[in-house]
Amino acid sequence: MMMLGLGPTVARLKLRRCESVGLRPTVWGRVWIHGEGEIQVGHRVLFDARMAPIELHAQRGARIVLDDDVTIEGGSSIEAQSYVTVGARSRLGMWCKVLDNMYHPLRGNRHARPQSVPIVLEEGVTVGSRSILLPGAHLQRGASVAPGTVISRRIPAGVSVGGSPARVLRREVAR
Amino acid sequence: MRPGLPTAAETARAVRAGIQVVRTEVLPRAERALGVARARWLFRSFRLGHGVAAYGTVSARNDGHAELGDKLTFLGGMLPTSVACYEGARLLVGAETQFNYGVSLEAWESVQIGARCMFASFVRVSDRDGQRISPIIIEDDVWVAHGAILLPGVRIGARSVVSAGSIVSQDVPPDSLAMGNPARSMSLDLVAREASSA
Repeated sequence: MMMLGLGPTVARLKLRRCESVGLRPTVWGRVWIHGEGEIQVGHRVLFDARMAPIELHAQRGARIVLDDDVTIEGGSSIEAQSYVTVGARSRLGMWCKVLDNMYHPLRGNRHARPQSVPIVLEEGVTVGSRSILLPGAHLQRGASVAPGTVISRRIPAGVSVGGSPARVLRREVAR
Repeated sequence: MRPGLPTAAETARAVRAGIQVVRTEVLPRAERALGVARARWLFRSFRLGHGVAAYGTVSARNDGHAELGDKLTFLGGMLPTSVACYEGARLLVGAETQFNYGVSLEAWESVQIGARCMFASFVRVSDRDGQRISPIIIEDDVWVAHGAILLPGVRIGARSVVSAGSIVSQDVPPDSLAMGNPARSMSLDLVAREASSA
């Protein structure tokens, strides 16, 4: 299909449940889009789900925004109850999980849903494989996240974090 | 306009309302019945309680003694859930426990799971890690969040929470939150008020 130049058409077909899709999307493999929220996909977004499917779940009234040139690898899942944005040129590794709601309170009635906190990934963010972004995660420009990290807070620009609980591994050299 | 016939807009609204009714009232029951039937078939080699529902693909094998309680839920999704009980092993799951997709449950000697637990996606529970085999006990009302790994020989106390992505290598006392790699436990009194959404 790629040889026939049908790639973007097929990708558009696979992304038909999104609110808007930009120019030349690429989808390899299966993307599972469910929920009644809005999903906006920018230009030249790449979904590489050859190894494992990708999940995009926006609850009613929620919104997922994937900006231009975002790459999402297989097995990662983005679940939005309110708002998740992924900035331009960001990259989400394999088996990532992005959640903007804990879904269950720590104590008390387990079926009450706690309040959700929007997740913002700014431009040029790299998220390693198997990392988990919990409600309140805010990765600023060019932050990078090592594989297997769990984050639920703001990470300043250009900082790379890793470990669980997350710690700063390296700061950007002063420009 | 003749009074007998509804307008096109009214018809459309009625049809939409009908679809809504079908979706909210009929389909969930049908889906549940289908889930129960699927679970009957998938867990045919297990000792099964009543009302076990599997909404997605589950790969189940039982060569030992596996008992599932009443009203379990296995949700479907990106990846299949796998439940395995190997020869001579014991796998007990309490009532009303819920499993999200991609959970992997392995018993080589003994895994016990209490009632009303919640297992999020990609949780791994295995009582063998290549060096040793020792039993895992999970008490009632435990919530294991996304991607957590429970290592052999762990006992998780009642009402505890294992946070996302943590790797539990030591016992977790009741009413506590375990997080990190390796997981450290802290009392839930420190992080959440009683019966509030934290």
